[in-house]
Amino acid sequence: MSSALIADITAPSVNYYMLAPILIVLGGAVLSVLVEAFYPRESRRSAQIALVLTTLVVAFLAVLNIKVDAILGFTIVNSLAIDGVSVFLQGLIILSALVGALLISENRIDPLGDAFAAQSSALPGSEDELAFTERGWYQTEIWSLFLFSVGGMLIFPIANDLLTLFVALEVMSLPLYLLVGMARRRRLLSQEAALKYFVLGAFSSAFMLYGSALVYGFANSVELGDIAKALSASAANSNLMLVGGIFILIGLLFKVGAAPFHQWTPDVYQGAPTAITAFMSAGTKVAAFGALLRVFYVALSGLAWDLSAVLWAIAIITMLVGTIIGVAQSDIKRMLAYSSIAHAGFLLLGVIAQSKAALDGSLFYLAGYAFTSLGAFAVVSLVRDASGEANHLGQWAGLGKRSPVIASVFTLFLLALAGIPLTSGFVGKFAVFAAAYEKGLAPLVVVAVIASAIAGFFYVRVIVLMFFTDASGDEVSVVVPSFATAAAITITAVVTIVLGVIPQPVFDLLSNALFLK
Amino acid sequence: MNNVAIPILALGLIAGAFAVFSVAIASITGPKRYNRARVDAYECGIEPTPQPMGGGRIPVKYYLTAMLFIVFDIEIVFLYPWAVSFDSLGIFGLFEMFLFSASVLVVYAYVWRRGGLEWD
Amino acid sequence: MNKLIGAAQGLGAFGLDPLWLVALKAVGIFVILVLVTLITIIMERKVVSWMQMRVGPNRVGPGGSLQSLMDGVKLALKEEIIPRTADRAVYWLAPVIACVPAFMTFAVIPFGPEVSIFGTATPLQLTDFPVSVLYILAISSIGIYGIVLAGWSSGSTYALLGGLRSSAQMISYEIPMGLSFVAVFLYAGSISTSEIVAAQAGTWFIVLLLPSFIIYVMAMVGETNRAPFDLPEAEGELVGGFHTEYSSLKFALFFLAEYINMVTVSALATTLFLGGWRAPWPISLWESANTGWFPMIWFFGKISVFIFVFIWLRGTLPRLRYDQFMKFGWKVLLPVSIGWILIVATARASRNIAGFDTATTARWLLIPLTILLFISWIFEEVKNRRSKRDVELVEDEIAEFDPFAGVHPVPPLPGQVTKSEKSALQVEES
Repeated sequence: MSSALIADITAPSVNYYMLAPILIVLGGAVLSVLVEAFYPRESRRSAQIALVLTTLVVAFLAVLNIKVDAILGFTIVNSLAIDGVSVFLQGLIILSALVGALLISENRIDPLGDAFAAQSSALPGSEDELAFTERGWYQTEIWSLFLFSVGGMLIFPIANDLLTLFVALEVMSLPLYLLVGMARRRRLLSQEAALKYFVLGAFSSAFMLYGSALVYGFANSVELGDIAKALSASAANSNLMLVGGIFILIGLLFKVGAAPFHQWTPDVYQGAPTAITAFMSAGTKVAAFGALLRVFYVALSGLAWDLSAVLWAIAIITMLVGTIIGVAQSDIKRMLAYSSIAHAGFLLLGVIAQSKAALDGSLFYLAGYAFTSLGAFAVVSLVRDASGEANHLGQWAGLGKRSPVIASVFTLFLLALAGIPLTSGFVGKFAVFAAAYEKGLAPLVVVAVIASAIAGFFYVRVIVLMFFTDASGDEVSVVVPSFATAAAITITAVVTIVLGVIPQPVFDLLSNALFLK
Repeated sequence: MNNVAIPILALGLIAGAFAVFSVAIASITGPKRYNRARVDAYECGIEPTPQPMGGGRIPVKYYLTAMLFIVFDIEIVFLYPWAVSFDSLGIFGLFEMFLFSASVLVVYAYVWRRGGLEWD
Repeated sequence: MNKLIGAAQGLGAFGLDPLWLVALKAVGIFVILVLVTLITIIMERKVVSWMQMRVGPNRVGPGGSLQSLMDGVKLALKEEIIPRTADRAVYWLAPVIACVPAFMTFAVIPFGPEVSIFGTATPLQLTDFPVSVLYILAISSIGIYGIVLAGWSSGSTYALLGGLRSSAQMISYEIPMGLSFVAVFLYAGSISTSEIVAAQAGTWFIVLLLPSFIIYVMAMVGETNRAPFDLPEAEGELVGGFHTEYSSLKFALFFLAEYINMVTVSALATTLFLGGWRAPWPISLWESANTGWFPMIWFFGKISVFIFVFIWLRGTLPRLRYDQFMKFGWKVLLPVSIGWILIVATARASRNIAGFDTATTARWLLIPLTILLFISWIFEEVKNRRSKRDVELVEDEIAEFDPFAGVHPVPPLPGQVTKSEKSALQVEES
């Protein structure tokens, strides 16, 4: 019985060249653990930053390299698919991670150090915590965790079977759960957010795993291609497959933050250190939407008809929840969190539409949104009062008069989030909505446009607050950041404008971005 | 090969019956003499400290050991099938297992350096 | 691949027994285990006595040989005490959980080759399947639950600490134990006990894989909570450990489980490293030594050697301190086992691929290993000197200690100085 199984095993072929970006990032993560173990504490931080930035740059070069040679295919027993979409998404994730790393490395804006607790094992408010802070310690493990998370994100959208998908999901999420809970200021809020994120995240992964098991029961395989084949071969769709597919979607929709699986988003975005929020809002969203698109386009397209009612409902609820509840927010980070939920809703249109144009639009949308969101959170981290970040909207009043540059840059990001022409947000939205309209999703597009209009209201409200309202008298100031944050804000602002003005090169890049089936 | 599990069940049943019988018979065969001090938890004759169960907290070292155990136990889970099919995997198997062990040993080095293996 | 096909036929011999034979074998194993336990207990008491120049039990039965049986009867007649604070259901269940897996692990231990029982040909083994060693590991881990739950449910501090210690100890030593098997599986190409015994028809694995065997023997002493690793029951620290609150037959079950576990790990060592039921060398020249019922003699002979070693250790070695014990498991046994596995794999691969013979491989491996050891020795030496220097450099920042801080005045611990002493010190300095 088993002897036959043993005899069947042959060494799988691994295309190390195609996997180079992933291997580089994970290798860098392992090296970073070694740095943690053997470097003296004083020089650990700078060594980690140098290592992380080098790793990410080299990994990006490796991605470019794959693109040039155009070697596409499956590897490691069909568990990973390298195709146009995955190369684009990997490049995007690595760039977001680079900007995110710049933000995380910032230690100039807070007089106490970087955005992370000096020693996250010390109880909040305890004497130990005070002692560690006074000693000027840094929790340098964040860099290892960060790289592992990026590694998971790189695998997540290219996973071609449900098990790899699950493993990637965990590799991506587990470090994030920790990073969320490590804020230096308002630690209890941060730890609460981390626990919420972890519990809900574990719950949704369990759904996904259970769904995978059900799908395996139907298709007798966990490979996406085989599932599609099994779907087209069977005349009547079995309930097993339908339930399994919905469960897998629940797991993925949780990660993209679609309603009604969005509850974690505002709390986590608010509680996490802002640099981590920035990185999550970009990286997680790109990776999770990449995976959602792949699963839906490659494996579940045969179920599109059965799932359409569910997906329509989810898309509409997501857009409305994101915008309407977003209007009521008084905390800037929570507001941006609801904005990200609304954007997830808009992006779902691209998932439902199932066409090449919709795919291109979604990928462009992701690229634009990733940079805009990174930039917006970077600006949020600069506006501070004596106790840390000034996140209450009232504190932002009159900011335009005191720091016109920062206020203008933030205005740019808000306009891009709202989807005003000449920003990347507009092009992305237009591409996705147009593709959805072509596929006959007019009702959804109408809802999306209405939602965009409502969302526009709360973005404009912040702009009005910054430029046309007098300061309330709180001691809020914009801190002059170090080179890293300044560079991050500049890069994201430039990308937001450039993608809005001349989007064509990116669409050219996307022209051969297809899913390998 | 359809009923290799039945003998195990048979042995389990015999052992289980024996164990349950022994536990059950103990209250019948032995004498019963109530004594309040006897049913207190034993603490060398002094008043027992309040319940360690439920609300009692357990030193964090034990959790750490348990987590390390899981890390290495999972390594073992991967090593067993690898060892059995080592000959058919050839140089690939050797190379991959070296990589895998190296990454586990990196974690091990980290834990060691951070004092995770110290008991004091 | 021929070997694998042959293995399939070998395993095919299992699961064919008629039900009466299954029942007979199961009862047989049960009876054997209980008997072996009784013998082991009396043997332990006698051997330790002789080692200490005493006589040992000599009143009950010829030469005291019925002593352990009488002890069992005595325990059955003792009062059963359930502490007021105990969680009754779990307290009741824990001895059962500890005891049943101890018996069940023996289901896959091979006692001998195929024999004929009342005209039916059958292997002298209850059952076997492709992953039977994994089964042993799994079932013996369930036994740990019995101990942890016993400690927890007693509602007593000593028992809880004993149970915790025991679980930490067992999981710590399970890792080197599990790792020591890898090399065996690698050479046998199987995880089934009968096939591993079959693979040792030529050379026993103790010859090929001596370091694995040594690691296993150390880990198995830790796994069974036996001296010098009997920390969960360290009577000087924890009274009786996890079974402090147990009495009567419930206590007897824990006792039984401990001794059966000793027999089980010995049987596993015999199976994996000492050729199982195969006759040792000079006897194996006699052709029928490995046929029929004779192998059971060799098998139990080997087991009793292990049991004797267990007793010998108990009679000789003092108990380790808990931190020394954990340090030994995690910092010595674990890296050594992983390193050894990698060496074995490299040697095997070099034989498979490059066709090196054992001597060449050994040479290629031993030279770099010696160099590595030498470097690490120098490293350690340098580190020791440096830490010695550091100790001398430690700044004498002495914390002040208030003896009256609590309700009762307490004397200062080493390193603590009371206020008056400190001012005296400062006067001296100035």
